[in-house]
Amino acid sequence: MAEFFSTYGSLIVSMVLGALLGLSLYLPLMAGQLSLASPGFYALGGYIAAILSTKVFTSTSSLFPIPLLLLEMLIAGIVSGLLGVAVGIPALRLRGIYLAIATIALVEILRVLSLNLEITGGAVGIFGIPQPFQTPIEYLWIALPLLIVSMILLYRLERIRVGRAFTAIREDELAAGAMGIDQTYYKVLAFTLGAILAGVVGAISAHFLNTWNARQGTFDASIIYLTFVLIGGSRTFLGSVVGGMVFTALPEVLRSVADTGGLPTWLAQFLRDGRLIIFGFMIVVGTIFFPQGLVTPDLLKKRQRSRSVSQSND
Amino acid sequence: MTKNEPESPILEVKAFTRRFGGLVAVNNVSFTVNKHEIFGLIGPNGAGKTTLFNLITGLIQSSSGQLLYQGREISQLRPHKIAGLGIARTFQNIRLFGELSALENVIIARHLHIKSGMLTGVLGIPPAPQEEHKSQQKALELLALVGLGDRTAEKARNFAYGEQRRLEIARALALEPQILLLDEPAAGMNPSEKQQLSIFIRNLRDRFNLTIILIEHHVPLVMGLCDRIAVLDFGQLIALGEPSVVRNDPAVIEAYLGNE
Repeated sequence: MAEFFSTYGSLIVSMVLGALLGLSLYLPLMAGQLSLASPGFYALGGYIAAILSTKVFTSTSSLFPIPLLLLEMLIAGIVSGLLGVAVGIPALRLRGIYLAIATIALVEILRVLSLNLEITGGAVGIFGIPQPFQTPIEYLWIALPLLIVSMILLYRLERIRVGRAFTAIREDELAAGAMGIDQTYYKVLAFTLGAILAGVVGAISAHFLNTWNARQGTFDASIIYLTFVLIGGSRTFLGSVVGGMVFTALPEVLRSVADTGGLPTWLAQFLRDGRLIIFGFMIVVGTIFFPQGLVTPDLLKKRQRSRSVSQSND
Repeated sequence: MTKNEPESPILEVKAFTRRFGGLVAVNNVSFTVNKHEIFGLIGPNGAGKTTLFNLITGLIQSSSGQLLYQGREISQLRPHKIAGLGIARTFQNIRLFGELSALENVIIARHLHIKSGMLTGVLGIPPAPQEEHKSQQKALELLALVGLGDRTAEKARNFAYGEQRRLEIARALALEPQILLLDEPAAGMNPSEKQQLSIFIRNLRDRFNLTIILIEHHVPLVMGLCDRIAVLDFGQLIALGEPSVVRNDPAVIEAYLGNE
């Protein structure tokens, strides 16, 4: 067991973080807003944690204090949320693909800024971010509760007034307005909640990865997170969680398949490095054959029903 | 019955005009709707009836003119504000949330009547759960009222056309409006359904103390149901008054039957 965790510890934590990033994209999508801004807020949160832990909270102990990590997560969340509101109010006037483009632009602006600012360490980035834990797997103490709490909150959110307002806007914006729902407010709210979550995850990731640079928040990352949600399922938060986990693990699985030997060199090479091609292909195929993703509300309902039927037969 | 009561205006349309480029869809239209009235809006296709509804509910802005609701100017307000003041509507081309259940469709429209915010709602702190529960009860009552009480879990898009129209009315009623705008509620119904609808609308008015403005093509229904009627033709108001008066108005006859 210990060997398993030391081998796969990093991957397991990455999967949980992937699920959280999937949720950060799912939140605006709840209100029908296709935002690709998550990597931008993720990078921002990471830089906040990296700068704070290397320059401000310099501690002498061998392990970085966990309360300070939590404080960094809080600060990252607040700053990302504020930026989310500031960007969301003008950007959410745009619809559909135009909003997606605007959010890609935001990610690019933040990336270029971090490449050129001194405080972010330029192209080299920030190194030697202190570790709060001895082994990677211990990051689960932070990441897993965050995922579980996020899932519980989302489960609740979908069943109350605010979540219903999101859904109404997603289904028919015009009709939602006629029902007294302030579209602008709820769109910005959904976008900002996603931004906060992405920022918080960034703060954890900066420590987890030990180094943080401009490659963390790129257009590539936008596409990867989009795969999490579109293929996993965009109509229930479970889809994004499953998508985030599976598609974070998939490149590792493909790599081990490539390493089994007996494969032609080009295929092994493709399995190892063709992650973005595979993800892009899946987005195209997915939108045609399962537009709501693999995990859909109908699927969950069906499962529930078949379970209750089999129980009543027992 | 309105004849015996003192007439108090609830909605005043004053010199409303809306241009789409060179086309004047609504041209200098003025009328007043009284409280507790059933007010009909008729006219040939393209007369500007739905445009007028869209103007009243804030979906589009007027080019000029005033709109007074209970004496307050509302023509510049956004749709959700107008809904919040108590003006609810249905749509000519039915705009239900198709993927959601009938119950969810109606509960969404309880939005303005749940006061608890996101935090208390998510954490289930009182009174949020009680409010949610009350909303659900209210929605179920309304679904029963429109005769869909036994199909609350079904997706809205699976309902038949006439049922969707009734579901839209239930959804609009969930706002607890003062004024209900119905855009062609009888479209696609057979004569006996139209007769039932007429009775249903009158009952709604009395039960919820509503003012109802309705667009309808079926002239006998409008004549039998409405207290007063406004006739639009090419964006202009050509007649206004009680059904018996409007029916014999030469301008109305010309608009509907053409000039020899």
